[in-house]
Amino acid sequence: MKYSVIGYFLSEGFRNVFKNKKSTISCLGIMCVTMLMFGLFFAIGRNITHMVENIEDAQAIRAFFHEDAPEEEVIALKDQILAIDGVADVKYRNKQDAYNEIKEDLGEYTTALDGMEPDFLSYSYVVTLEDLDLNESVQSEIAKLPHFKRITSNNQTINTLSNIGKWIRIITGVILVILIAISIFIIANTIKLTVHARRKEISIMKYVGATNGFIRAPFMIEGIIIGITSSIISLGIVGALYNWSAIKMAQSQTIQEIGVTMVPFKELFTSILIVYIILGVGIGIIGSRVSMKKYLDV
Amino acid sequence: MIEFKNVSKTYTTGTEAVHEASFKIDKGDFAFLVGQSGSGKSTLIKLILKEEEPTSGTIIINGKDTTFLKPKRIPYLRRSMGVVFQDFRLLSDKTVYDNVAFAMNIVKATPRHIRRQVPMVLSLVGLSGKAKAYPDELSGGEQQRVALARALVNNPSMIIADEPTGNLDPETAWDIMTLLNEINLRGTTVVIATHAKDIVDKMKKRVIEIEKGIIVRDDKKGGYNK
Repeated sequence: MKYSVIGYFLSEGFRNVFKNKKSTISCLGIMCVTMLMFGLFFAIGRNITHMVENIEDAQAIRAFFHEDAPEEEVIALKDQILAIDGVADVKYRNKQDAYNEIKEDLGEYTTALDGMEPDFLSYSYVVTLEDLDLNESVQSEIAKLPHFKRITSNNQTINTLSNIGKWIRIITGVILVILIAISIFIIANTIKLTVHARRKEISIMKYVGATNGFIRAPFMIEGIIIGITSSIISLGIVGALYNWSAIKMAQSQTIQEIGVTMVPFKELFTSILIVYIILGVGIGIIGSRVSMKKYLDV
Repeated sequence: MIEFKNVSKTYTTGTEAVHEASFKIDKGDFAFLVGQSGSGKSTLIKLILKEEEPTSGTIIINGKDTTFLKPKRIPYLRRSMGVVFQDFRLLSDKTVYDNVAFAMNIVKATPRHIRRQVPMVLSLVGLSGKAKAYPDELSGGEQQRVALARALVNNPSMIIADEPTGNLDPETAWDIMTLLNEINLRGTTVVIATHAKDIVDKMKKRVIEIEKGIIVRDDKKGGYNK
C-alpha cells in the first residue's frame, strides 16, 4: 500500500474522530463504562478467588497412624503421602508433638494430663492440599497406607469453600460475557448511527469507484482510535480506584486482623490491558464492519 | 464503449423498468437519454453503473461483458466512468479542492499528482478561484461544476450524467451542457439522462428515447420529441 493512502486513511480517521464529536463522545462513554465495569468485575473476581485460595491453603486434613507401629515405618510414609496427587505439603507430628498440642489446647486444665505419658497418643501427619476438590481422593489414598488408623478433616468447610470458589469463578465469567455482549450490541448500534449519518459520503465514494476496503479503512481507524483512547482512560481509572481501595484496606484494622491481602495491581495490569486492547480494537473493527455492510451494497 | 443487448430489468416488486433494450454508444459519442418520469431512464443509468443487475440480456462496457461482473470488480469498472447527479452529491465539510482530490485518493494517486491534476481540472470547469470555498458557499451551477470536476479528475473514458441540470436555472443549465459538450470534444464519451427539452432540441445530438421501459427511438441528431 502506498504511503499516501495510509496517510489518507490516518488523516481521515483522526479527522472523523474530531469532526463527529457527538458520536465520538457517546462511543467513548459506552466503551469506557463497559471497560470500567469489566475492569472492576475482573479485579473483584480475581481478589475473591485470591482470598478463597488463601483460606483453602490454610485448610488441612490430619491422618493418624497406630500408636503401636514402629515410628521409623510411620516416618517413612512421608514420601508416599507426598506422592499422592493433590497433596501440597506434609508435616509429621510425633507422639510428643501431639502431647504438646493437647496440652496447649487444655490451657489452664493441663492438670488433666497429669500422670499420662505421650505413648498412648497416635503418630500423625498434617496434610495440606493443592486443590480442595481432591480432598476425598487424597483421603482414600492415605487410608490404603500401612498402620493407618483414621483421618480427621473439616470436610464441610473444605467443600463449602471449594463450592464458593467455583461459583465465584462461574458468576464472574457469566457477568463478564454478558457485559461484553451488551457493549458490542450498544457500540455496533452507535457506529450504525454514525455510518447512517454518513451514508451520503459512503455512496459518493462508491460511485467514484472506491473499494469496500478503502471505504471501511477510515471508519476502522476511527474505531481503533476510540478503542485505544477508552482503554487508556479506563485503565487509568481502574488503576487509581484499585490502588485507593488497596490503601484503604491496608489501613483497616479488621482486614489486618483477618489477614486478607489484595492482589497487587501490577499482577492484574497485563490481563486487563490485553482485554482492553482486544475489546477496544476488536469492537472498533468488528463494529464498523458489521454496521457498514448495509451501506456498502450500492 | 457501451452496448446493451436485449437488456430487461424487472424489480423485485414486479415492475418491469426496462424491456429488451438494445443500443450501442461508441467511443466519443454524445447521447441524450430522454423520456418521461418513470420511463426507465434512471434504471438504464443504474444498469450502466452496475448499481442494478439486469434480469436478462447482456451489457458490454469498454469491450467487457459486465453482466456477471463480480462485486469486487465493480469499483474498477466505475473508475472508467465519471458520474454526475442532479443533486451534485458533494461533501459539505470538504472544500472544493478536497471534494475533487477525494476522487483521486480513491484511485491511490500520489500527493504530487493530486496537487498537479486538481487545479488543472478546476480551471477546466472555470472554478480556479473557488478551490478553498465550501459547497454551501457556491451557487447551484458552481456546485455542479465541482461535481463535473470530480467526475473528470481521473480522466474517465466516459461521463454518465443523471439529470445534471434538473436543479439549475435555464442559463446555468445551458452553461453546464456547454461544458459537457467541450468535454466531449476532447474525446470523452458523454451520456446524459435528461428532461431538459430546450437543451436537447438546441444541441442536436444523438437522442435515445425510452417509453415505459422500451427504447422507442434512437436518432443520430434528434430533438426531445419526434
